Amino acid sequence: MFLHFPTINKAQIYLITALTLLYPKLSMGQSLQDGIYTEEQASRGAEEYASRCASCHSADLRGNSNSPSLIGLSFMFIWEGRSLGELFTKMSTEMPTDQPGSLSQQSYAAILAFILQSNEFPSGSTELASNADRLEPIPISSQ
Amino acid sequence: MKINVLATILLVIASSKGFTQILEYESVTDELLQTPPTEDWLSWRGTPRSWGYSPLSQINTENVNELQLVWSWALDDTGSAQAAPLVHNGIMFVPAPRGVIQAIDASNGDLIWEYRPGTTASVDGSDQEITAEDLGDAAMPLTAFAGVGRGVQKNIAIYGEMVYAATENASIRAIDARSGLLVWESQTADPSLGYFYTAGPIVANGVLVTGITGCERYKEDVCFYTGHDPLTGEELWRFSTVAAPGTPGGDTWGDLPLRFRAGGDSWQAGSYDPILNLVYMGTSQAKPWARAVRGTDGDALYTNSTIALNPQSGEMAWYYQHLPGETHDMDETFESVLVDVDGKESIFKMGKLAILWQLDRQSGEIIKATDVGYQNILNVNPVNGVVSYRDGMIPRIGQQIDMCPSTSGFKSWRAMAYSPQTEAMYIPITLNCELATFGPTEQVLGGGGTGPVRRVNYPHHEAEENLGELLVMNIPEGDIKWRYRQRAPINTAALTTGGGLVFVGDWNRYYYALDAETGEKLWQTRITTSAQGFPMSYEIDGTQYVALPAGVGGASWSGMLPRDLAPELSRPLHGNSIHVFALPNNQ
Repeated sequence: MFLHFPTINKAQIYLITALTLLYPKLSMGQSLQDGIYTEEQASRGAEEYASRCASCHSADLRGNSNSPSLIGLSFMFIWEGRSLGELFTKMSTEMPTDQPGSLSQQSYAAILAFILQSNEFPSGSTELASNADRLEPIPISSQ
Repeated sequence: MKINVLATILLVIASSKGFTQILEYESVTDELLQTPPTEDWLSWRGTPRSWGYSPLSQINTENVNELQLVWSWALDDTGSAQAAPLVHNGIMFVPAPRGVIQAIDASNGDLIWEYRPGTTASVDGSDQEITAEDLGDAAMPLTAFAGVGRGVQKNIAIYGEMVYAATENASIRAIDARSGLLVWESQTADPSLGYFYTAGPIVANGVLVTGITGCERYKEDVCFYTGHDPLTGEELWRFSTVAAPGTPGGDTWGDLPLRFRAGGDSWQAGSYDPILNLVYMGTSQAKPWARAVRGTDGDALYTNSTIALNPQSGEMAWYYQHLPGETHDMDETFESVLVDVDGKESIFKMGKLAILWQLDRQSGEIIKATDVGYQNILNVNPVNGVVSYRDGMIPRIGQQIDMCPSTSGFKSWRAMAYSPQTEAMYIPITLNCELATFGPTEQVLGGGGTGPVRRVNYPHHEAEENLGELLVMNIPEGDIKWRYRQRAPINTAALTTGGGLVFVGDWNRYYYALDAETGEKLWQTRITTSAQGFPMSYEIDGTQYVALPAGVGGASWSGMLPRDLAPELSRPLHGNSIHVFALPNNQ
């Protein structure tokens, strides 16, 4: 018995190769206004946030004297013009400060989705990627 | 006085209720607190004068290199440990994260009892504890309105036959020292407004004196100190650390209504002079940190001040504001070290700027201000203590300034120690600077906070690659006796001893014993995680012990600075603990 593979022509191979190579760049041009996370993901993130982040950053995300605000004017002052990938990397390598990197990448992405939701960026139909490279091209901007 | 533990004092039994208790316990009196036997460590810094000095000399410069581990004990890893253990009657009382207190046989590390919030019963079986249900939406940590941080419980107090603690839920607790059972709990503030404690009470002339923190949010309320009756938990008085409109000093906040006056936190315990009957407490800076963000150039009393209070009435005898209208997050809230020099009853204090202040304990007048010379933010007159900001150093919103130190400070809660042998102050320092850009906050109830800072840390130009320094200053001259510098931040309070030693630990898990006279390193050991907390010494049955705490967390000094400026160093994610050492021939 032989396995039967579908036939792929040269043009399709070129297209697949190009898409694979360009995949990280596909999000180029995306913005926070494009609905880059889902409500369900933000909901999961809210639960993770409550159990792993709120004791320092507080339930309303406004932080305390040792933990910066993750919402509103103060948050945007720190992060405006920087990339979502940088924020994801910071979260996933440095947070929580007493156990940095101790959550799954999916959990960090869900928490980031919750932060975006809390800052009134719109949700959409696709989950936020749990990968810093794919988030890198997305600028943090209130526009 | 020698203590024969087995024969007289430490009798423990297992009761029918399943806990162990101490049958014979010498009640801690005011006299005992003020002049403790050399073998005990009854206050968070040894005595109410807060020298961080043990007169014990069995371990000394000649034999310290023979120190061996006697026992160690793992503390809960539920938060950041910054423990200041106490020892009385051969029992060590250890504050652990999130309100846990343990009583341990200090000679061998056996657990006698432990108090666990929400688990341990009250002494009479009644429901004395303030529960998560009582707190409702303010219950920690899941539904906190404002973060309680990392469950820090720096110090506790012992008095009478009780142990006293201040909690992450803005309450004060009394625990029976014999059994570990809860006797009373008194709520002092609403934690849902952000209030919590990291520093515990001290006992002054029969009154528990405690200062609260978590005061950075805008609300119809401000930070405070309280005095409590140790027997009943009744609040005897309350002193607001922020001057309200229409009260003395109220005009130093400009036209801001009370709701927009924040800060004045207390996150280091105080000291007490029983002769003058005055408690000395510190306050932190005003919030938001930068003047331009908080909306006033005023002095903002009583922030960044040392305040002398009568412990019975709470009446303020005097205040000294070190940095009027402070505007860079430069706390001056730390320990007050009470030393008499040249006939002057003095307080020595140092804040984040590494300016050593000498104040008159009775009048609050400045005696001397010694700028170590590391900071670049302001000028200070050494005679009258008046400070003036250097050109361009008052932050404007969105405008970057180059400042030393960073907002972490050169000095923090890692308390300095005084040695009467060398007449010098031993000061843990972290050398660092920052490109800082201060940003705005929302001026609404629930808003405020510290204000955001775009922050780029960099090493101090004088330090090369060294972040850590133990700075030793002769008292009262203020000149440098010696410096010990190294790569990793010094991360504990200092302990001086009658053996001519100073003990200090670092972020990179090392503890050291240095010759207090010369700075020569005589001994080192490596422990579970970062050295962190308040090392201390005690004696049982003729053996001197040194207890060295370790812990994770520790705010930006212990988190951000090593990560940014010494990235090749690492530490475990867990490891809160206590390590106790003694000489081998005494085991």
